[in-house]
Amino acid sequence: MTTETIPPVAAPEFKVRVEVDGSSRPVVVLYWGSSLLWLTIATLAGLISSIKLHSPEFLGGIEWLTFGRIRAVHWDTAIYGFGGLAASGTLLWLQARLCQVRMPYPKLLLVGGVVFNIGLVLGTVGILMGYSTGVETLEFPLWAMPLLVVPYVFIVIANFTMYFTKTTNHTYVSQWYLMAVTVWFPILVLSAEACTNLGAVDGVAQAIANWWYGHNVVGLFATPTGIAAAYYLIPKVIGKPIHSYHLSLLGFWSNAIFYNWAGTHHLTGGPLPAWTITLGVVGSLMMFIPVITIGINHHMTMVGSFHLLRTSPTLRFAVMGSMIYTLSSFQGSLEALRSHQEVTHFTHYTIGHVHFGMYGFFAPLMFAMMYYGMPRLMDQEWSSARLIRIHFWCTLIGMSIYVTAMCYAGIRQGLMMNDPSIPFLNIVRFTVPYLAMRTLGGLILLTGTIAFLINFVRIITPRKYTWATPTMLDTDRDWKKLLAQEETEKGARK
Amino acid sequence: MFGVFMFIWSFALITGIVMVWLLSWAIRRGEFRNLRQGARMIFDKDEPIGLVTDHFPGAKR
Amino acid sequence: MNRTFLLAFGIFLTIASSITGLVIIPNWQFQELKPVVKLDGTRYPEVYFGDQARGREIYINQGCIYCHTQQVRMKGYGADIRRGWGTRRSVPRDYLVDRPHQLGTMRTGPDLASIGARQPSVEWHALHLYNPQITSPGSVMPRFEYLFREVRSGETVPADAIKIPRGRQTGDATHIMPTDRGRTLIAYLKRLNQSYPLPEANQ
Repeated sequence: MTTETIPPVAAPEFKVRVEVDGSSRPVVVLYWGSSLLWLTIATLAGLISSIKLHSPEFLGGIEWLTFGRIRAVHWDTAIYGFGGLAASGTLLWLQARLCQVRMPYPKLLLVGGVVFNIGLVLGTVGILMGYSTGVETLEFPLWAMPLLVVPYVFIVIANFTMYFTKTTNHTYVSQWYLMAVTVWFPILVLSAEACTNLGAVDGVAQAIANWWYGHNVVGLFATPTGIAAAYYLIPKVIGKPIHSYHLSLLGFWSNAIFYNWAGTHHLTGGPLPAWTITLGVVGSLMMFIPVITIGINHHMTMVGSFHLLRTSPTLRFAVMGSMIYTLSSFQGSLEALRSHQEVTHFTHYTIGHVHFGMYGFFAPLMFAMMYYGMPRLMDQEWSSARLIRIHFWCTLIGMSIYVTAMCYAGIRQGLMMNDPSIPFLNIVRFTVPYLAMRTLGGLILLTGTIAFLINFVRIITPRKYTWATPTMLDTDRDWKKLLAQEETEKGARK
Repeated sequence: MFGVFMFIWSFALITGIVMVWLLSWAIRRGEFRNLRQGARMIFDKDEPIGLVTDHFPGAKR
Repeated sequence: MNRTFLLAFGIFLTIASSITGLVIIPNWQFQELKPVVKLDGTRYPEVYFGDQARGREIYINQGCIYCHTQQVRMKGYGADIRRGWGTRRSVPRDYLVDRPHQLGTMRTGPDLASIGARQPSVEWHALHLYNPQITSPGSVMPRFEYLFREVRSGETVPADAIKIPRGRQTGDATHIMPTDRGRTLIAYLKRLNQSYPLPEANQ
């Protein structure tokens, strides 16, 4: 049971934090705000794709909306639009806070953010117009990619600058993960583009490179950012330090070493040398180590504080994300086994797993980050607790329906595909009701997103939502008044 | 093919040796001595250990 | 500063090792791989040219990969061969000239690695692409009617127009003619054939 002690005056650390947050405001709000726009676009594209799969006549006959294009738009805008921007905003804000430095090169980062968004628009329009590269997860045409890569270079520079000018003595565990993301992502994208769209390798070798990249976007970009967020938010909200810092070291390095190798599990059974697939299976299974480590750490930290889930939105999303990280990773590790893949490869099960991880772990942790950070950045409270609750429950319920429907349908689909006496069209008809359930799940997710959007728009507009007892800002102190008080006291002393 | 295997083994060996050396360097330098302190660095006098820092807006405390 | 550099270096090592292992080394393994020369003097696989190449572009920009794979799994693992999707498993040599590869990861629709052998008829492909319900009732594949020109009743029917079966006609279109894009896509699909027996595919 934690006791709440509120310091009577503004400590100097408080002023530092206010200054750091203030300097981050324009950049982080741009990145987070635009990430939510892209989340909405991605969700809409996903909905259209989902409906087209059970009702192919929906918006039929329109070439630029054909399933093969809108589906590519869905995952590229989800990964790079929502994922890329939310993770970048998180990286910058968290790094600034943990290094206790002002945001470096804010104008550069702002320009970068705008350029990134333009790149996303160009890439999306490019795919819809028929210029997709045909490489899964790297469909954005080559002329749009530089607009996504260059802004990220700015982020890398800013990140290292903060690191080298930090005023703190220690490096917090989240910072290791953020540093990792900064080093990994540019290498990933550049190598993958070289191998696929720039033609450095051909045929099957290209497929291996393709999925080495595809899985590493999840494992070396989305996952570390989510874990970094969880490692900061959970202890910060409940007021208890992480259970075992030693475990977090083990978790980080085992994650770094093993996740890299898991990518070829996307090609099990395919025309590849068996050793490449075996490596993927081994890497995927070894992931049990970091996942269990991180799971223990987060869970043991939470023990004794679960009652706070009732009163803290950030904690709800963060704990949901953290628990589902463990569950979806177990699912993924087992899924990599050849025997499992014999059934589930090529089925909707894979899609179910992806969304379990992305909308059960990554998105909730990004939401948690925003719910915690935005009031502190804008010095303003969220306008509606009800909208927050709607967002949370829609995320949890929508995602659960989606994942359950797809995983169940996928297993049945796979079993039927392995029985040659069942005509293929029968298998297709079997999956249709579950695809419709997926659309329902998606609609619920969209509802939650809209609830969040409304709250977000209100918090960035200059209206003060003051409550009788200030809450998320958790200052029973009016910090402006306190700072002014300190100034007058200082003046009186002179 | 022999060239490929030679490369794999030497690369793995070198990487392994470098990793072990890095680990021993870190231990010698004392990186593992005061790990607890790292866990506490996100707290300070203003947001100390024991203070819950997040609530629903409008909730009575 | 020292610590930061080492952290970054360690992180870099992890990705360098996986690039080496998963990207560079397999590519080395495949460097030696060349097409075989068949008994009749032609090569397998032959490079895509003309209509086949243009058709492949359309396959890519319509996003066919999101529902169709082009890889046959080995006998005993899954039921790909028993379903008639291929006479042997797919091997790396089959994809030597594929740039970019279209291996695929979803089978909302059947595998297409040897669709040219399974469905050699231009007519079938045209009707299937124009309106999948004609050849495959209940399918969830979208209609690619914009790759075809409809011939309505009353218009002169070109000699090589394809007749839409009675009972499946919608509106007043009685025949269809593939546009250039439709024709090249069908040419590409007909080319997809991994039946040639390769020594390394022996099971």
